[in-house]
Amino acid sequence: MSFLSPLFLVGALAAAVPLVLHLLKRQPEPRVKFPSVRLLRSAPVEHTDRRRLNDLLLLALRVAALLLLTVAFARPFFAFGGGAENAGVRVVALDTSLSMSAPGRFERARALAKQAVDQAGAGALVSVVTFADGAHVSVEPTADRALARSAIDAAAPGFGATSYRAALNAGTEVLGGRPGAIVMVTDLQESGWDDASGASVSGSTEIRIADVGALLPNLALTAARVSGDHIVATVRNAGSQPREARLRLTLDGQPSGGRTAGPEVAEATIAIGANQSADVPFPAARARWATIVVDDREGIEGDNARYLVLDGAARPLVLVVTATGDLGLDAFYVQQALVVPRSDGEAYVVEGANGQQLAAWSQAQLDAYRAVVLLSTRGLERHGRELIAEYVRAGGGVLVAAGAGIDGDVLAEALGLAKLNVEPPQLDRRLDDKVRRLAPADVRHPVFEPFGGSASSLGLVKFLRVATLRAADCEAVARFTTGEPALVDCAPGGGRALVLASDLNKQWNDFPLHATFVPFLHQALRYLSGGRRRSEYFVSDVPPGVAPKPGVATMTERAGAPERLIAVNVDPRESDPRRLTVEEFQAAVTRVKETTHAARRDDIRQAEGRQQVWRYVLALMVAALILESLVAAKTA
Amino acid sequence: MPPSQLAKTFLDPAVVARLGTLELKARTIVEGFLSGLHRSPFKGFSVEFAEYRQYIPGDDLSTIDWKVYARTDRHYVKKFEEETNLDCHLMLDVSASMAYGSRGITKYEYGQCLAAALGYLMSRQRDAVGLTAFDDQIVAMLPPSARPGHLRALLVTLDRLQRGSRTDVSKPLHQLASSLTKRGMVVLISDLLDDPERVIRGLKHFQFRGTDVIVFHVLDPDEIEFPFERATRFEDLETAEEVMAVPAVARAHYLDALGKLIDRYKRELGACGIDYHLISTAQPLELGLLAYLSKREKAL
Repeated sequence: MSFLSPLFLVGALAAAVPLVLHLLKRQPEPRVKFPSVRLLRSAPVEHTDRRRLNDLLLLALRVAALLLLTVAFARPFFAFGGGAENAGVRVVALDTSLSMSAPGRFERARALAKQAVDQAGAGALVSVVTFADGAHVSVEPTADRALARSAIDAAAPGFGATSYRAALNAGTEVLGGRPGAIVMVTDLQESGWDDASGASVSGSTEIRIADVGALLPNLALTAARVSGDHIVATVRNAGSQPREARLRLTLDGQPSGGRTAGPEVAEATIAIGANQSADVPFPAARARWATIVVDDREGIEGDNARYLVLDGAARPLVLVVTATGDLGLDAFYVQQALVVPRSDGEAYVVEGANGQQLAAWSQAQLDAYRAVVLLSTRGLERHGRELIAEYVRAGGGVLVAAGAGIDGDVLAEALGLAKLNVEPPQLDRRLDDKVRRLAPADVRHPVFEPFGGSASSLGLVKFLRVATLRAADCEAVARFTTGEPALVDCAPGGGRALVLASDLNKQWNDFPLHATFVPFLHQALRYLSGGRRRSEYFVSDVPPGVAPKPGVATMTERAGAPERLIAVNVDPRESDPRRLTVEEFQAAVTRVKETTHAARRDDIRQAEGRQQVWRYVLALMVAALILESLVAAKTA
Repeated sequence: MPPSQLAKTFLDPAVVARLGTLELKARTIVEGFLSGLHRSPFKGFSVEFAEYRQYIPGDDLSTIDWKVYARTDRHYVKKFEEETNLDCHLMLDVSASMAYGSRGITKYEYGQCLAAALGYLMSRQRDAVGLTAFDDQIVAMLPPSARPGHLRALLVTLDRLQRGSRTDVSKPLHQLASSLTKRGMVVLISDLLDDPERVIRGLKHFQFRGTDVIVFHVLDPDEIEFPFERATRFEDLETAEEVMAVPAVARAHYLDALGKLIDRYKRELGACGIDYHLISTAQPLELGLLAYLSKREKAL
């Protein structure tokens, strides 16, 4: 039985009042020392024992009446689900992330999970949740221990990364506001707290940790990338002893250019210190994808391979649309900036085209580019505008430099942004009349990420002439010192467009002469290409239709679009041997008031309203009072 | 004078109880009583010389008339008229049940005053008076004597009596009856809260030995009327037995039992010539004196 207003039960203390009175005044009747008691023996007297019995009966009836009154005020109701629900729910959250796949680890995890099931209190319900980067409720709360054990037996480690938040959220969902405990059967990897933030659980939920233990010595391939003319693989030794790692590169697929070539294999061996990482370069070759494997039979098998899509070119393509298509003439600084490799070795292959040329392009041709830099709309016919608009809708990114070559109306149509209004500067304005500086309006925007705390260095750029941007649906991520928008971020369809209110060819500003120009361009294109042409996914975030397992898969951006390759790799965080202590884990969990409290309260109120047990309790109280009156009258 | 009128004339026992010494109480009672009896038929007692009798061993040497011895060379003792009076034994119950009192005087105090008054009166009438106090056994005993200083000894003994424990009236009665060597009178002052069969048998023992017996059955008005109203827990003064009673219900049964007890005493004691007087502590003590004098009259 539960109570809607259990605080009223405090009133049960009033039941002690008659008890105290009884104890204080146990013989309320006068006591007379009398010489002729022997003559009273024949009278119908009440002997002490009988009187005491009556007193106790009266006391019991009065106490019962008071208790029933307080119980009635507390609004009792029967919580269907019985004692099992009241006994609590134990959610056993079993870590099935990649790190659990090391030899012997998951067997130990299973044993700990079964132990947690067996240790659940009598009458408690048990639920089994498996989790990696997501959580899956294998067994809803049940009293059937065998079912829970079989679910644990059926669980197996996968390729996902650890997410304690997912496990705790699922556990909280399963508990549904009921009291209980979540038993986390895990290896306590520090990386399990994504974004360094914890999780929130109900204050009534107990978190218990069943620690599987530290990660065993392990070699892991944590990254693979194309850097210049090399494919670079990063291998980490997670053990406490230096190890020698043997890596093999396998190239597969058809090289661009039409030449047929079989898989090429390269090998490399490197010594790695304890808890250190090392980069292993392999010569790049023209192939569709590469597979790098490190030999490690002791550790986690899933992180021994890394897949990399080469996609026929070692460097991504960027299309720069100019007035003439001659990059040396129209986009010299842009071209030079983009072909420079970034710190991670990535550089772009920059190709140019003008508006008339685009009229003859197919959508597939444009889709082959990682990003588009639009410096001029001159000659951009309807077909070209539609190509760009579709490109953007499909997730492509366009960087627009609203210089002299940009027509606002054409640009709005090409980007599919009806509310975008770009007005060129007035021609009669003196060039040095008002020098503008650029200031980031939101330094957290990804485009400013490479600058970190020195984003203000962008303010060194002098903007002598700027276009006026008005875009209701776009975010101004940077403004000029005059307050006008300098850089707006728009999201037409599934793609992105960054519009700079000036040119990139040193005509209206001196931006290309500043050190911030190259990183700005690279970061802008990286940001713009983020939603498109992504060729590497982790198992946890594979696009729809792609199996969440490591390897190389094919996917299409949209119906009718050509297939492209993507590499699916395991999250390298799973190979990170750093662990949390139980205390650190507990500290990362925030106990909050039950979010479902109000809803649960409503349920309880409705249940109580339907049953109205308090009426029966009050009737019982009246009955007790009547009986008390009868007994009292009899013994008065 | 009817007893009801006497009751109005005489002192309230509660007032008597507040007087200083027992001797003062006794004198106050008796003197007042006698002054009220100047027209009563109880007269003729005197200390006039009656006769000489030849001395026999055992006689009190102080009673030898030395002038007669000088004249006749024989030992004669003087016999006075009053010395023909009784040897009287006052038997006072000092058991715990006598400690009850609801009207400013307990049964024990009442009995004590009554015994003192009777002793005073007897002494004044030259009756030899003795005292026996008892509870379940004899706790104090003063042989009867008519000597002038004896009254004081009796009063002192009365004054120093300690209240006893349980009542066993018959046992002291038998003890005293067995020790009596000459006829006389026994005055029993008790609440008689004992087995009436044994009490009556003990009293008959005196009767059997030719001793006149007056029984003063002293009860408190509460015992006679049972005036309690509320449910009361009654604790026996002697046995500590507790009985919870609702007076409204128990009164009739109690009074009936008491009535039967009194009737039995009256009937069986009267049948064997024993004077039985039920006396309430609310009644004047003089009524006891009156009863004694009446009995004495008959005895002589």
